[in-house]
Amino acid sequence: MATKRDLRSLSTLLTPSTLFLGVFFLGPLAVMVIFSFLEPGIYGGVVWNFYHWNYGRILGWADGEWEDFDPVYIDIFLRSVRLALTNVGITLLVCYPAALWVSGLSVRWRTFVVFIITLPFFVSLVVRLFCWVLILRPSGFLSTSLMGLGIISEPIDIIYTETAVLIGMAYILLPFMFLPLYASIEKLDHSLLEASADLGANPFQTFWRVILPCTLPGIAAGAVLVFIPSLGNFIVPDLLGGAKVMMIGNLIEQQFLSARNWPFGSALSVMIMLVMFMLIVFYLRRIGRSEIVR
Amino acid sequence: MHAILKFAIAFASALIISQSAYAAGQLNVYNWGDYINPEVLTRFSEETGIEVSLDTYGTNEEMLAKIQSGATGYDIVFPSVHMRDIMQKLGLLHDAKVNTLNGFENIDPANMISKVDPESSFCLPYAWGAVGIFYNKEEAGELKTWDDFFALPDKGKKITMLDDLRETIGVALIKNGHSVNSTDGDALKQAEAWLLERKDKISAFSYDIVSLVQAGDIAAAHWYVGATLYTLEEPDKLGFVIPEEGATMYQEDICVLKDAPNKDSAIKFFEFYMQPEIAALNTLQQVNGTANAPARDLLPPELKANPNTNPPPEVVAKLQIFEDLGNDLRMYNRVWTKVRTAQ
Repeated sequence: MATKRDLRSLSTLLTPSTLFLGVFFLGPLAVMVIFSFLEPGIYGGVVWNFYHWNYGRILGWADGEWEDFDPVYIDIFLRSVRLALTNVGITLLVCYPAALWVSGLSVRWRTFVVFIITLPFFVSLVVRLFCWVLILRPSGFLSTSLMGLGIISEPIDIIYTETAVLIGMAYILLPFMFLPLYASIEKLDHSLLEASADLGANPFQTFWRVILPCTLPGIAAGAVLVFIPSLGNFIVPDLLGGAKVMMIGNLIEQQFLSARNWPFGSALSVMIMLVMFMLIVFYLRRIGRSEIVR
Repeated sequence: MHAILKFAIAFASALIISQSAYAAGQLNVYNWGDYINPEVLTRFSEETGIEVSLDTYGTNEEMLAKIQSGATGYDIVFPSVHMRDIMQKLGLLHDAKVNTLNGFENIDPANMISKVDPESSFCLPYAWGAVGIFYNKEEAGELKTWDDFFALPDKGKKITMLDDLRETIGVALIKNGHSVNSTDGDALKQAEAWLLERKDKISAFSYDIVSLVQAGDIAAAHWYVGATLYTLEEPDKLGFVIPEEGATMYQEDICVLKDAPNKDSAIKFFEFYMQPEIAALNTLQQVNGTANAPARDLLPPELKANPNTNPPPEVVAKLQIFEDLGNDLRMYNRVWTKVRTAQ
């Protein structure tokens, strides 16, 4: 089908992005993979000796000298996965009804709402999270307003808890769930809903058997987009969790800074990348393809 | 529109003029955030005509990583003493012959604590201070010891410690009678167990607690003597104490980098900063200890007679400073990961 000319223009068009990805994505990635098999330098950096303990250590193996057997890193990883999945659930529950509602608005209002949802990106993340510290602390906005309204009598105390971390993560990642959901809900063919109603389905059945399956690609895309940054996040656990809720992102940050163990940090990063990669492959195979077929 | 254009032209030409007026030189400073009185830098520029640019970092490691990865253009850095020892060993520092410069006689020998440069030839001792407890008197009452501090959670009050493995493990080592530089496995295990016992009592490991202590959301926090800035503003409400059992201290030195493009400007800055009135000007805003002995006499009484910023010798004797641990840092890292992960 493709003529020579098509191929030529195609390669011209793809060259910049290929070069860009090669230099700025594959290059650093290769450095990371290589570092993960080397010995850590005393003051950061690496010593060019093959060193297999980095991966063993993730699973708890001890090198006998610096480490005892302890699967502490697996614990951290599992906790991160649990928090990231919870966060996917929260954002989905918040965004799905919101996206349904927005898709029913007039075009002008829809544009406005989508603009409002992307608005927080204009402000630095750290500043926004520090606002949450001020909101969630016992003498903060949330507690005082609820007490003022007489809803609670004692100040609520959720700063520096896992709840605070979940609130913060859901807050920063809501747009990543909302936008793909909204995109797939907006595309929904309304004649299908009419057909479903004509054939005697009640609203719940219509939702469960027509709307939900049709918007599954949006849900999956949103879930992947929220899950990945949740798993690697380290700013929210630090600021809102008071660094007491350690996630894999904190662990990696610690390896590159205070612990000065770049190879172990690299090994942890490679492990996360592999998990993410498998997730995305799964997504493309199962859901992505069905969307293309449709 | 016209006015804006005029303003822009005026602004641009002012920039060009000021640049040529400052042809005397350039000094690129790489320092911790908020760790020098901006007025010191302004005065330096006014007196010498050298233009100063300031970049900041948050941790020693961040600075080291940046310098190691080949960041060029910086002239002077402000590492902690153990980090400047590392940097000197790695050959990152220039021997500025600091101890031959005008004004070096003002530097207190007690602040020349580097292990690899005891004569202060490479770096100039800058400032130091204790790391103790910053507290809200309305919530915590008066505190004197670490035991008082750890008793607060039992009364329903919140406490926080620093998100820094050396500092927080350091407190545990001090409480168990060990050196904060101990590399003895048993001592570290003891410190780990001691911290794990108290993990539930510690609300957070954080630096960003000033506004929360001021509001009383946190009763007391493991924090730097720089908190004196706030305790002097509200002496009835806020307090700082160096605990009786002992505490850690920090000290930073100013060093010239090996690749510094403006070494002459750096030397001029050292001589400028060794003047007692300039060091005092800095201390006034930084509210910590200065290495410049005559400068201490120039300070106002609330700082000079302050047992925290200018502690008496018997208190200073109980302060321990971090040394470079080399590979043994991994043991500390292990303890820290365990403490932070424990549920």
